[in-house]
Amino acid sequence: MSENLLQIKNISVTFKTRHGVLKAIDDLSLNVKKGEILGLVGESGAGKSMTGAAVLGLIDPPGRLSSGQIWYKGQRIDQAPETIRGHEISMIFQDPLVSLNPLRRIGDQLVETILTHMPITKAEAVDRARKGLEEVGIDPERINAYPHTFSGGMRQRVVIALALAPEPALIIADEPTTALDVSVQAQILDLLKQLCRERGTSIILVTHDMGVIAETTDRVGVLYAGRLAEIGETRDVLTNPKHPYTKGLVASTPRIDASSFDKTLYQISGSMPKLDAMPNGCAFHPRCEFALDKCRIDRPSIIADRAACWLLDGEETLL
Amino acid sequence: MLIIILRRLGQSILVLFLVALISFLIFRFVGNPVDNLMGQEATLLQRAALEEALGLNDPLYKQYFNFVWRAIHFDFGNSYRGALPVAELIASRLPATLELALTSAIFALVFGVITGIYTAIKRGGFIANLILSTSLIGVSLPTFLIGVLLIWLFAVELRWLPSFGRGEVVTLGWWTTGFLTISGLKSLILPSITLGLYQLTLIMRLTRSEMLEVLRQDYVRFAKALGLSNKQVHFNHALPNTLVPVITIAGLQLGSIVAFAIITESVFQWPGVGLLFINAVYFVDIPVMSAYLLLVGVLFVFINLLVDLLYLAIDPRLRDSQLNGER
Amino acid sequence: MMNRFLDSDFFHDFLRAPVALISFCVVLILVLSAVFAQFIAPTNPFDPASLELMNGFTPPLEANMFTGEIFLLGTDDQGRDLFSAILYGLRISLFVGLMAVTLAMVLGVMLGLIAGYVGGWLDNLIMRLADIQMTFPSILIAMLIFGIARGLLPPELRYEMAITVLIISIGLSEWVPFARTVRGSTMVEKEKEYVAAARLIGLNRWQIMIRHILPNVLGPVLVIATITFALAIIAEATLSFLGVGAPPTEPSLGTLIRVGQDYLFSGEWWILLFPAVTLLALALAVNLLGDWLRDTLNPRLK
Repeated sequence: MSENLLQIKNISVTFKTRHGVLKAIDDLSLNVKKGEILGLVGESGAGKSMTGAAVLGLIDPPGRLSSGQIWYKGQRIDQAPETIRGHEISMIFQDPLVSLNPLRRIGDQLVETILTHMPITKAEAVDRARKGLEEVGIDPERINAYPHTFSGGMRQRVVIALALAPEPALIIADEPTTALDVSVQAQILDLLKQLCRERGTSIILVTHDMGVIAETTDRVGVLYAGRLAEIGETRDVLTNPKHPYTKGLVASTPRIDASSFDKTLYQISGSMPKLDAMPNGCAFHPRCEFALDKCRIDRPSIIADRAACWLLDGEETLL
Repeated sequence: MLIIILRRLGQSILVLFLVALISFLIFRFVGNPVDNLMGQEATLLQRAALEEALGLNDPLYKQYFNFVWRAIHFDFGNSYRGALPVAELIASRLPATLELALTSAIFALVFGVITGIYTAIKRGGFIANLILSTSLIGVSLPTFLIGVLLIWLFAVELRWLPSFGRGEVVTLGWWTTGFLTISGLKSLILPSITLGLYQLTLIMRLTRSEMLEVLRQDYVRFAKALGLSNKQVHFNHALPNTLVPVITIAGLQLGSIVAFAIITESVFQWPGVGLLFINAVYFVDIPVMSAYLLLVGVLFVFINLLVDLLYLAIDPRLRDSQLNGER
Repeated sequence: MMNRFLDSDFFHDFLRAPVALISFCVVLILVLSAVFAQFIAPTNPFDPASLELMNGFTPPLEANMFTGEIFLLGTDDQGRDLFSAILYGLRISLFVGLMAVTLAMVLGVMLGLIAGYVGGWLDNLIMRLADIQMTFPSILIAMLIFGIARGLLPPELRYEMAITVLIISIGLSEWVPFARTVRGSTMVEKEKEYVAAARLIGLNRWQIMIRHILPNVLGPVLVIATITFALAIIAEATLSFLGVGAPPTEPSLGTLIRVGQDYLFSGEWWILLFPAVTLLALALAVNLLGDWLRDTLNPRLK
């Protein structure tokens, strides 16, 4: 379990705009191990989706990967990301209603993807496509149906079948359940989790939902303003958060148990800084109740393999 | 599906009756049929007799229905000039116009879509920018000036192509075609380019903006993420979605091509209905004007209807929603 | 007022857009030379007495073989100085274009205001009429109206009234975009509080429409007017070229190009070229200016 499948090394993603160059991701590093589910959590605009797009080289201009390296299975891929798309790393998008080509039958889209990556005949590809649909719980007889004839949840199942069809070793799932009904969300997550566990496929699960993180992931990375704030085993991070931002995030997650009635939720005051108005030092310090003088000047890097926070600086030995 | 077609059909017929009404009003009130048939020296008695015979004393709605009834039977009266039946005149000139319009439409569609896709895929590239800025000049150039300049270059200076007429035509029943002779085809080139150039730039700009829009869609990003090649993404996924609106608009443009043919036909002395119409305007030949208006009206309505049906055939979403009566 | 304009974003954007600046200069030069044509032009091309048939077909900057006279841009078939003819033709083209746009604008804005503010069956009637008219290219509508007007006029007035008829034909064929835009904006403005307030203090419909709503919808109207101006100039040139526009006694640019086409094969290229270049410069400059105005003033219209 400890072998690194994907290594993201100090990447930055920048956007050139009229108001200058904005950094959407700023010097971010993380690893994905073989077979694990890594969650990436953060507010919208924190750079979690952008990280997924960067791995596959799918950042739309004017944005670009301006520095850093991405390694996959011991090879550098950030210069030619199209070579690993599909059969090594594939992706699931947020909204299944717009992820499928509306003018093409789902079977055609599956067969096309399979044939692109596998040296097999069309009949064999159709066979595989039917099996793939069956695995995600869709009647293979509907192989010739158009996407619009499926509900949102069913479409996301088709999307999962498509993403798994070229047998990738890693799937980047970008908020795969956000656009779905609450009752369907758990089904889709379980399905994704189960299929990947069976195949030993790793997942990067991008979400803003702490509940999803808790139920699904092995490890979690917390992103704030394009930087990694904290990373670690999901259980550790959720039960014993080290970064004040993570603490706030955990405390502001609603819980349903007897003790929570009539209690108001914790709120982190203020809001995430805009990309064109980044504070010096730690990006979180203007909202941080524990901020030290140092936090306003120097940017902390990840300390003790856990959190980017100066508060941990002295505790290092304690951990 | 049937209901939607019937509804469209109903709307079309309504529009046709309206166009027919305008056509009738022009026919009845702009030109005085009696003056034109008899000349100034006829006696009052003779005029009264003719008015009675022509039904000009009937109530207006009756005259209108008579007009429509005769129009359905291709009876538009006689041209004031030469006294030939208008229907005969139009029938003899319609093939020329339709062949010209069809050729330019195909020219505009093919090159418009190709350059549109190219400028979308190679956005910001040198050649793409060149094509785009040239097209801006193309839009500003009046059609007749394009025609005149083409004649100057290819007919006067280079002497490659003829500058007027249809060349040799072959008669097939009541149809005459220029498609079957070398001189006929050569004669088609300059007028088709002149007539199609404006539509070409329109279709190009439309294709480009639609394609850019489609390339931003999640299903295109998803197709890329699945490892499909650029070619697969552009042509199997982006193109069909781009073409749906393009075909609609291009189809609707076909009607304008027939109307714009008036200008091109005049520049190239192309013996079609457009030339007939512009001469009718010049000589105030009211029956021809009114019949031409009706003809163009029918054509436009017919094309609109056809495009609607085509739309239903291409887009499965629309097809099903119409079938199930959803939305 | 002037200083405020010079300080505005609009003016700064304008200075930073070379295309707009050049286009504006071209339009300005053409308009000025049209307005002051009688002071610039060496001859009056509309005065038959000034024409010397012997001067016909003189190439530009060459001495005529009979009279020895030299003309900047040469002469046409009737010995008319082309430079003067272009200046006077430009004047007619600009005049017709301007009047036609004004007519289309007044008509379109009025109908749009009524349709948007009053609504109901009147709105329905106006907008259905607009729909049907939009189905047909405006040049066809203009030709049709021209033909009808000619039919209604007694033959002896046809030449005399030609320019007026031309203006009416083009004007009536271009009102729809104005009406649609104004109707849309009016429907938005109508719901705003200041209109309700105006109604409360007892202003009547017309006062509200003219004094309160109209000023707020003028921005897009200006943009459409510029674009329509280019269309009107092209429409006028086209109709005149086809022989159903300006009369031969008062040739516009389109008429001059029509004459020029006849002499292409015999080698008198200048009769065609100079009017054509003038028309092209005018149409292109107004178009570019319109595009720029649209992008700057109202990105929504794009």
